[in-house]
Amino acid sequence: MLKLNHLYKWVKSGGKRIFLLNDLSLNVKQGEFLSIMGPSGSGKSTLLNIIAMLDEFQEGEYYFEDEAIHQLKPKKRTEIFNENIGFIFQAYHLLDDLTVYENIETPLLYKNVKSSERKALVADILDRFNIVGKKDLFPHQLSGGQQQLVGIARALIIKPKLILADEPTGNLNSKQSDEIMQLFNELNQEGVTIIQATHSESNAEYGSRTIHLLDGSATKL
Amino acid sequence: MLKNFIKISWRRIKADKTFSFINILGLSIGLTITILLFLFVLQERSFDTMYANKERIYRVIFNTSEERNNEVWATVPAALKPAAAIEIPEIQKSARLWDHDFGKTASIEANNQQFTEQKLYYADAEFLDIFQPEFIYGNSKSALERPNTIVISESTAEKYFGKTNPIGQMIGIDNKQKMEITGVYMDFPANSSLDGNMIASFNSIGFYDDPTWGNASFETYFLLNEQANRTQVTKKMQQLVDANVEKEHQWYTLSLQPLEKMHLYSSDIKSAFSSKTGSIEEVRNFSLLAILILLIACINYMNLATARSQKSTKDVGINKTLGASSKILILRFFTETGFVTLLSIFLALIFTVLAIPFFESIVGVDLSTKFLWSSEFAIALIAIWMITTLIAGSFPAFHLSKFSPMEVIRSGTNKNSFTAILRKGLVIVQFSASVILIISAIVIYNQLEFMRNKNLGYNPDNTVAISIAAVNSEREMQMLRNEFESLSEVSSTTMTQGFPGISVSGRSLYRNMNSDEAMSLQTNRTTGGIVETLQLKLLAGKDLPATKQEGDSIVDVLLNKKAVEFLGMEPQEAIGKNLIAQLGPNAYVIGVVDDFNFSSLRSPIGGYAFNNGFEPLQYMLVRFESEELPATVEKFRSKFAEVVPSSAFDYTFLDKNVEQMYSRDRRTATVALIFAGLAIFVACLGLFGLAAFMAEQRTKEIGIRKILGASITGIIGLLSKDFVKLVFFALIIAFPLAYWFAYKWLQEFVYRIEINWQIFLYAGLIALLIAITTVSFQALKAAISNPVNSLKND
Repeated sequence: MLKLNHLYKWVKSGGKRIFLLNDLSLNVKQGEFLSIMGPSGSGKSTLLNIIAMLDEFQEGEYYFEDEAIHQLKPKKRTEIFNENIGFIFQAYHLLDDLTVYENIETPLLYKNVKSSERKALVADILDRFNIVGKKDLFPHQLSGGQQQLVGIARALIIKPKLILADEPTGNLNSKQSDEIMQLFNELNQEGVTIIQATHSESNAEYGSRTIHLLDGSATKL
Repeated sequence: MLKNFIKISWRRIKADKTFSFINILGLSIGLTITILLFLFVLQERSFDTMYANKERIYRVIFNTSEERNNEVWATVPAALKPAAAIEIPEIQKSARLWDHDFGKTASIEANNQQFTEQKLYYADAEFLDIFQPEFIYGNSKSALERPNTIVISESTAEKYFGKTNPIGQMIGIDNKQKMEITGVYMDFPANSSLDGNMIASFNSIGFYDDPTWGNASFETYFLLNEQANRTQVTKKMQQLVDANVEKEHQWYTLSLQPLEKMHLYSSDIKSAFSSKTGSIEEVRNFSLLAILILLIACINYMNLATARSQKSTKDVGINKTLGASSKILILRFFTETGFVTLLSIFLALIFTVLAIPFFESIVGVDLSTKFLWSSEFAIALIAIWMITTLIAGSFPAFHLSKFSPMEVIRSGTNKNSFTAILRKGLVIVQFSASVILIISAIVIYNQLEFMRNKNLGYNPDNTVAISIAAVNSEREMQMLRNEFESLSEVSSTTMTQGFPGISVSGRSLYRNMNSDEAMSLQTNRTTGGIVETLQLKLLAGKDLPATKQEGDSIVDVLLNKKAVEFLGMEPQEAIGKNLIAQLGPNAYVIGVVDDFNFSSLRSPIGGYAFNNGFEPLQYMLVRFESEELPATVEKFRSKFAEVVPSSAFDYTFLDKNVEQMYSRDRRTATVALIFAGLAIFVACLGLFGLAAFMAEQRTKEIGIRKILGASITGIIGLLSKDFVKLVFFALIIAFPLAYWFAYKWLQEFVYRIEINWQIFLYAGLIALLIAITTVSFQALKAAISNPVNSLKND
């Protein structure tokens, strides 16, 4: 599904290059559930952002479904991202001014989905995540676990092929955390490709494969 | 999508009430002023547009020669109209207008009652054809054809005769003439330069039969035909002057002023009859002010938007990861701004309606609220709405929408230097504008105070001018004088043609018999007692004699110092000299008085001559002492009625009249002051919001500092310091600009104050004090909060 070849990313500090990613290669197949582990600063988030096409890299190649991302213009990249990828944040990043329902609906609005269709899609996902009763609440009225559920629902509403999750359970307790991981597992079984960055061994075990990052390089594939 | 955006906007407004309140209030204040000023401008520009022939109506303008300071008059000789009507084929219709007794108040007797009327004119019959006022009674075609006929306005008719049809009733004017009412017309609208309450037929007065090319006292209107060319007509008028006036007596040229320019472009034109002269300058200044205030309000909005930008940045980032394009986000921010502006406009409309009476009283103009329902106004409102939205919304829309989704991932820790600089810049602009307005207001007020307190060379206080136009005989006048002088309150009286502050006769004073060199000389016929009554300072000679024999051809003249200087003499030397000043061959100097400001302090003192010549006496000047003014006036009134029962009592206080000369300036000062106040208020709203935001943003820092032992005052200082610095910057920008504006404005006055540094000091202190008060309120709140709470938040 996606392929990274010899990726380098660095920032300059005091005339020296500090490598965030150092000769990283990675191959992810359709239907995989990949966990990326590593200590703080090892480059997990950077890698996810690059895969999400939100961030740039200096050297290397990136193919997404045979499309050479490193050669595309930003606009086209955004388009591919919007069509294919759902992003889940550690801090949930729900829109404070919108209700649960509206938060989930927003990506559909931006894709110009018709109103009736939007309603059906949102209703489905609310149902599936068991949050129909919460649809008119605002994010600050929800617990962390519930917020993250909404975040995931919002990422899934566009039916993405790939889900990127940056420490999705970082702010949650272990019970909530397990529930979220359970959900990821189900999604994966339905055919969604998932890449998650995590600190936690137990979370990583839900994945079908784990890579370890250290100072921007993969230590074990 | 739009619906969605509006929904979000509404929620955001509700979510942060203080913030929204500040934002909307600031904008609506700015918009209220803009709307009010716009109404004013609309009204001023609508003047004289109601006349069907408006594009073809012209007023003849009289341009005097250098000798008369190139003054421009709205009145021309009476002989022009009949000659032009015959000789200039382009003139379809023409009419003269004469202000009753050269502008004096008329004493009216109607329905067995006495009235005074300031707006009585005499007009040629064609006047009604040119302007076509709508008639309620009578026939406008023939109403002014016969001598001694008069048409009156609806409200005048009601005042005199109630609801009955007054056609055929007789009206007495100044106890001299009887006029038959032949028509009643609808009142001239508020935005008409023509303002006559009564118009009598021109052939009722002597000038009709005996028009001259010398006495320029008649407004003259032409209705030109469709093909007429203004330049051609002007040329032909000049040819008429050339044919009728000898070259050496041609101290004027004639030109045409279109009716549509009459209201706004006549502020420099003297002797116009209309009581409603506007000024294009004022319209421009007010428009500029309106824009300035609106800009300040927009800046406020932007300022507050930058304050919230951190939250917005995150919002933008999230939305972008959810698939929003920049275009959509720009639309969203504009929708939000547009929504807030729309709310503000509604609020502003309410404010406007409430503020109209107040605004009318300070600007001294009746605003016609009918403009509120006009399509022009609706279009203008939409334009104002769009412009405000575009300006105020530009910052959030264009700046914030371009953030990349990465901002959200970096989770808002970045300091955005652009917004910080912009924010500072905006605060500086706001405060500069406010300080400029404060300084302008102070300077104008100081100048007004200076003029009020300036020694004018005569004493206008405790002096009243009572109209005696309706007093017919010499004997009655003398009786009146004696009766008044017998009152204990009265110290002296004199009979005059006019008094300082109103126009008298314009003549020329020649240096000597053979000289062409002349100076413009104001001549004022008076009786003795003038020196004492006006408290003039006599430099040489004596006052005019108390009495003068009937048939005495000698004219005694009391010159002012300026005129004597022109003659090249010392005051003492001038006594007894024969004067070449169009006052007849036997004019001799009897006394010299020190210079006094007989016209506005805008102009230098010119030549002035009191004389006992031959012009009719119009006023009795009375100097009095009074403990209780209303009672004294009442006493005067009854005394007057006792002596001349058939005449109405009409009076003016000289000091009030002097103040009148500066009413426009006072108005400008009031407007500037109010605007300055509002501008500062709006600026403070912005500052308040900003300070609140900064304090909130730095709660963690404040908490840490407090734990490390910072004092409350230390923290207030820390938070206020930045703002104080900005205000200082604003002062540096504002001072030279304000100085320049004030300097320019003061140039209009020959007698003016010096701009001193204290004004700047005060304005600076005011701005600083207000800023510190606003900011420290927030700072104090932040400083006294418990650090544990603020640190727990993170």
